[in-house]
Amino acid sequence: MLRIWTQGNRTGWLVLAVLFLLILLPLIAVVIQVLLPGVFFGHFELGNLSLLLDVFRRPLWYVSLKNSVILGIGTTLLGTILGTAIAMARSNWAFPGAKLLDFAVWILIITPSFILAQGWVMFASADGLAAQWLGWHSLHSFIFQPVGLIVVMTLSKFPLAYLTVYSALEWKVDRLSEAARLSGGSSWTVWRTIQAPLLMPAICSGAMLVFMDTVGDFGLPASIATIFRFPTLPYSIYSALYTSPIRFDMAGALSFYLVLLIALAMSVQLYAMRKSRYDFLSSRATRSEPKKPRKGGIYLVIGNIVFLAVVIGIPFGSNLLMSISGGSSAGKGRELTFEHYKALFAGNNDMLLEGLTHSLEIAAVAAVIGLFVGFLVAYVLTYSQFKLRKTIDVISLVSLAVPGIVLGIGYIFIWNQAWLEKIGLLLYGTPWILILASVAGVIPVITRVVVGAMAKVPRQLLAAAQMQGASFSQRVVSILMPLIKGAMLYAGLAAFGASVFDLAISSILYPPNFMTLPVVINKAFEDLQFGYAAAATLTGGGLVILIIAVMELLIKPSRKRVKS
Amino acid sequence: MAKGYRMKGFMLASVLMATAALSACGNNGNNEANTAATNSTNAAATTEASTEPTTEAAAESPAADASKDEPLVVYLNDFDDIIKPMFEEKTGYKLEIVSGNGAEIASRIEAEKGNPHWDVVWMDSMPTIDQMGKNGQLLDSWQPSNLDGLTDFAKGLVPANNTYFPTGEHAASVIVYNTKAFDANSAPKTWDDLIDAKFKGAIGMADPAVAAPAYPFVAWFFQSEGMDQGKSYFDSLLKNGVHVYPKNPNVAKALTDGEIKAAALQESNAYTLKNAGEPVDIIWPAEGAPASVRVAAIQKESKHQEAAKAFVEFLLDPATQQALIDKGDESYFEPSVKGVNAKADRAADAKLVVAEAGWAGEHEGEIKQWFADKAVK
Repeated sequence: MLRIWTQGNRTGWLVLAVLFLLILLPLIAVVIQVLLPGVFFGHFELGNLSLLLDVFRRPLWYVSLKNSVILGIGTTLLGTILGTAIAMARSNWAFPGAKLLDFAVWILIITPSFILAQGWVMFASADGLAAQWLGWHSLHSFIFQPVGLIVVMTLSKFPLAYLTVYSALEWKVDRLSEAARLSGGSSWTVWRTIQAPLLMPAICSGAMLVFMDTVGDFGLPASIATIFRFPTLPYSIYSALYTSPIRFDMAGALSFYLVLLIALAMSVQLYAMRKSRYDFLSSRATRSEPKKPRKGGIYLVIGNIVFLAVVIGIPFGSNLLMSISGGSSAGKGRELTFEHYKALFAGNNDMLLEGLTHSLEIAAVAAVIGLFVGFLVAYVLTYSQFKLRKTIDVISLVSLAVPGIVLGIGYIFIWNQAWLEKIGLLLYGTPWILILASVAGVIPVITRVVVGAMAKVPRQLLAAAQMQGASFSQRVVSILMPLIKGAMLYAGLAAFGASVFDLAISSILYPPNFMTLPVVINKAFEDLQFGYAAAATLTGGGLVILIIAVMELLIKPSRKRVKS
Repeated sequence: MAKGYRMKGFMLASVLMATAALSACGNNGNNEANTAATNSTNAAATTEASTEPTTEAAAESPAADASKDEPLVVYLNDFDDIIKPMFEEKTGYKLEIVSGNGAEIASRIEAEKGNPHWDVVWMDSMPTIDQMGKNGQLLDSWQPSNLDGLTDFAKGLVPANNTYFPTGEHAASVIVYNTKAFDANSAPKTWDDLIDAKFKGAIGMADPAVAAPAYPFVAWFFQSEGMDQGKSYFDSLLKNGVHVYPKNPNVAKALTDGEIKAAALQESNAYTLKNAGEPVDIIWPAEGAPASVRVAAIQKESKHQEAAKAFVEFLLDPATQQALIDKGDESYFEPSVKGVNAKADRAADAKLVVAEAGWAGEHEGEIKQWFADKAVK
């Protein structure tokens, strides 16, 4: 036991150092702009701290804070309930089309929120597809108000809760439920008093992810802003960073409040989960196998199809229509054409191909490094007695809620200091800066998914193996990995998919002559080439989905053999 | 059994690099294997990364002469694809471009202030670049050979210490109307018409707090009429139900969708609509259309000054500006040098006015904040 602990300590410090460098340092670099505005340019003068109070004085900032809180809480509640319910249904019952649900969830996770939001805008705007084709004129007034935005956000962010809960349901200990049933508990009682409480860590992690991703989301408020003014903290941070005169100190002040929101949410989570232990998985655990429902299977199928038609059909259908409609106006369907797709690969225009290749490379490397770091983080969080575990936990989540542009600016401050050139670490201006920033961006998702899976593998399993003389690597390879393999795969693929489209990071950090896919897409959006942008998005997205599907297929056969 | 698991571990190798790294690193170590694996990853990152900065470091070290192999780095907005091959062919210097919208580029320049990576900036944001000049970030007192060839309008824009040079001006806003809603008589013709009650709720414009070209537009009102008058003009405009969109493309879309009937719209957006066959027409107000000026400036500490100067000379060459107008994507602008013909369909009576750069730069934060706070009320 002692050896596990000391090892945990060393790994703990290492993990802490890596996370500090990747996530916390850039964030501090931005927040410190409030205190010392010129610190990275060689002059030390005290900033104006009253900026921090301006959030209650400036109307725009105050509204932004209020909106972020409302959107965050609403989406977290709805998204967690929705995600948990769907995960439980999916894990309990087998029904035709269930695979489609898994697929849809992945698509939602890797799609940048601005594309989803854009799709919803095209669908629900006053002259959108819903009004034109279906005659739903009242949809416009429902969607473009706070409750409507919470609904749209929920439908985009629930996959985080779904995935966390679903991967926690991969293994179960039927003995507990069976004992309860033998003692006379109804199935509802069993769910309420045994299954649901055991799922609490996964549900809480899921809720946390949804909350952070929501308060840190920039795409939705930005896309919606064309119709309905709903500024949030990330939106105002963006304005401070991307509007002349550039005000890093203002962005720092607003980022401070974003960090405060996360800290509050985490305190709530920690308070709710104090004193609980959840490593219930023992050697008696079995892999859960969904069963065919005795009756009502058809309702599951129909429900699933309707649900998918809403969460996937609406945003992507709108984008698809836009990508094949001629003329400059979106989604009007004046004539259908493939000209935008032809334009993607036409003649000497190799910008898209180049951007796509760069983005895939960056994302692949970032996913592998991220998985490695994320695994170590999760290991320390789950099995070590490292005293700063809580700190690691907090830092590993921060980058989810901090908008990419804030991290991006922080990366410039940190990695563009002249003295780094002497030791060959002037990473700004090279593709490595994009990889590092992407790793920072994917760590929260990877860590949460892996922690959710590890929480169920008791430390005793590893300790027993160690008593028999198994080394650390043997323990990881022969015990831990097989049990959490599914989660690791999910984590890696999600990280890969999300990195490909990370616009915020690549638009501020991309090196000269190193176009990336999101930059190409964004340029098309800004040049009014909506059709081209939608076509490029769908082509890039399709390729990513293909890669993910192939990876999943490659892994599947080995799973079956585990069972036999 | 253990062997079987390990086999599978390798099958996952690409996703589970962690597994592979750990199992490859010996069996007896606990944390050693662990630390070593991470270190090797870090080391790999370091070595690979260091190869690139080294080449760059060599390229940018002050000792090295600016040979023709080292690329000139230009930060610009509204990237015209034809610039790179034209410049490289004409001068033999290599060119590397970082493009983005004006705000992205300005943000990047500001964040890099401690260690700039750019040699030349070429952007629409004259007030911002004017401020950079005042902060000592730009090369001053250098005179390009074609300075005398500038038009009178452009000459008036060059600052006394020659920190930047205009390469063209376009209207930050002209009046554009939907021809299905108005004809030439009933459409608004002057900026004051926009606050007329008969256009209530029918007008759109881009948000000066968000869209880069909308600032030079409003700045002209604030400078020429005074801050209070400026505020009262835009207050009346807001009271008259003006629709404010984040950016010019959104304004253009609202205009063709019929959400608004007329708009203050940036020039190239306006002509793009018209050329695409949309039912719109363009009016150049007689009192003048506030201009956005595209200027080029050289970074003070640039290590490629010869190439940078060559680039600015290139931009002030009438042949370059003519090529941009004839073949470029951003072709609707008034050339800054004599002997160049503007786009044939660009109005002959196009009158541009401009807010003084220093004034506009100093008041930029204040005016934009006024708009931002106004919008949420």
